[in-house]
Amino acid sequence: MSIKLKSRRPNIIVEILLIAVLIAVIAPIAWVTLLAFLPNRAIVSSSWEFPFWVGNYADIFAGGTLFLQLLNSVGIVIGTVFICLVIGSISGYSLAKLSPPSWVKIPALVLAGVIPLLPPATLVPGLYVLLDNVGLLGTVPGLILVNSLFNLPFAVLLMSNYFSTLPNELREAALVDGAHEMRTFWLIMLPLVRPGLAATGVFVGIMAWNEFLMGLTLTSGGETAPITVGIAGFLQQYAVTWGQLAAAGTIAAIPMILLAVFANRHIVAGLTAGSVKG
Amino acid sequence: MALSTVNLGATGFSFDWAGIGNFQAVLASKDAWEALGNTAVFILATMIGSIVAGLILALLVNRAVVMLPIARNVLIWPAVVAPVVVSLIWLLILSPTAGGLNKLLETFGLSGQAWLDTGPGAMLSLIAVDIWHWTPVVFLFIYTALQSISEELLEAARMDGASERQILQRVILPLLAPAIGAVALVRVVMGVKVFDEMYLLTSGGPNGATTLVSQRIQLWFFQDLNYGEAAAFSILVVTITIAILLLALFTRSRMAGRS
Repeated sequence: MSIKLKSRRPNIIVEILLIAVLIAVIAPIAWVTLLAFLPNRAIVSSSWEFPFWVGNYADIFAGGTLFLQLLNSVGIVIGTVFICLVIGSISGYSLAKLSPPSWVKIPALVLAGVIPLLPPATLVPGLYVLLDNVGLLGTVPGLILVNSLFNLPFAVLLMSNYFSTLPNELREAALVDGAHEMRTFWLIMLPLVRPGLAATGVFVGIMAWNEFLMGLTLTSGGETAPITVGIAGFLQQYAVTWGQLAAAGTIAAIPMILLAVFANRHIVAGLTAGSVKG
Repeated sequence: MALSTVNLGATGFSFDWAGIGNFQAVLASKDAWEALGNTAVFILATMIGSIVAGLILALLVNRAVVMLPIARNVLIWPAVVAPVVVSLIWLLILSPTAGGLNKLLETFGLSGQAWLDTGPGAMLSLIAVDIWHWTPVVFLFIYTALQSISEELLEAARMDGASERQILQRVILPLLAPAIGAVALVRVVMGVKVFDEMYLLTSGGPNGATTLVSQRIQLWFFQDLNYGEAAAFSILVVTITIAILLLALFTRSRMAGRS
């Protein structure tokens, strides 16, 4: 990162300790991936045996429920990311650049500050009744709305951060040249905050993909549930088939880890957003 | 809802005014207090644990050269994995029958433990799992703050003859204090929200030893169908959380004002 580090010579103890930490981080994930390819007999046996086997994956997809849940999750992620990016960038832009009157600004900021503080479980009773009343209980659109509710404050604040780094003169120049406010936003400002869009999208996507409580409480399970709930279902059947459990886990985890490997920068930006200023 | 006796009829929910009766019932309930107590223990332990671990990691990575690029990438992996999957991963490690940990212990001639079957054991396991899961976030916060400390400042301290230990204690830690304070608040909020791990790893057991507030609400609402009390407890938890956060922010601004 910074140049100052390059001049340093490696400290052997530091490097070895870090390797140990990395092993502690990777080992549990590697263990599950390993179990996913083992038959149950080898997993419960008291000796270490590793006959490679892909039957777990065939078993968990048999019946098609898990595949539908996978589709539900993909739908929820796409819907939530779309809503959060559209509303997040428009509201973020307004907050950062259009100096809204304080009777709009203050309630918006207070709401955005309070929603992330609320334990989602405390909202379950209210949301359950609300979704039931509008007929969206147990549907993908219902879960998209709920996920958006939880992620929007973050999306708005993050986008507003990115927009506020752009110089005001840019917008003024575009307006002077005769572009409408909307055109300025769409053609000039938005393309400049592409890193912000990426960070927001990746982060919101991860949150929506990993969401469990709402999927559990606001659907009736089975084919209407997201994949996290499907995986939990494997966990609770009492004749636990460990290999299938591990296989289901890898399906939810591996895409996210790949994202962490290749979109690391955006995830870090999302995780630390607005942190140090606190 | 908190102020009503709510019933689920054939036509949907019906509300009857109950005043503060639900709140009284919640405050008199042993389960509510147990959940609040468990939550307090859990939050305190995971907050301190992950901050210590995150701080050490940040200092290590800041000194690393060879491992730097790999460490910065791999260290955030746990934070992107779903809590559900994290629970599953650790179940596959801690379980008495299929768990990797007992197998490993037995290979070395030690006896396995039923990690999740005693109250303290279950709570400790959950705390360890939570620290594994969320230390990456703490690490990122502190590491970012660490990077913004100017090298000239440290160089100056070195010139004045300060040892590495003194620099850490007198220069680096005080400069990191705001970031550590901020991340501590973040961790408190995360602790109040936690649900998935208890639900899946221990189901709040054994005997309610790991039932935290979120699960208490979910149990009242969906198992006992006690909608009014669940809503009342929700409001109570939110109020306590906001009060604690305001208190923390207030203390912080007072301290910042003095120094």
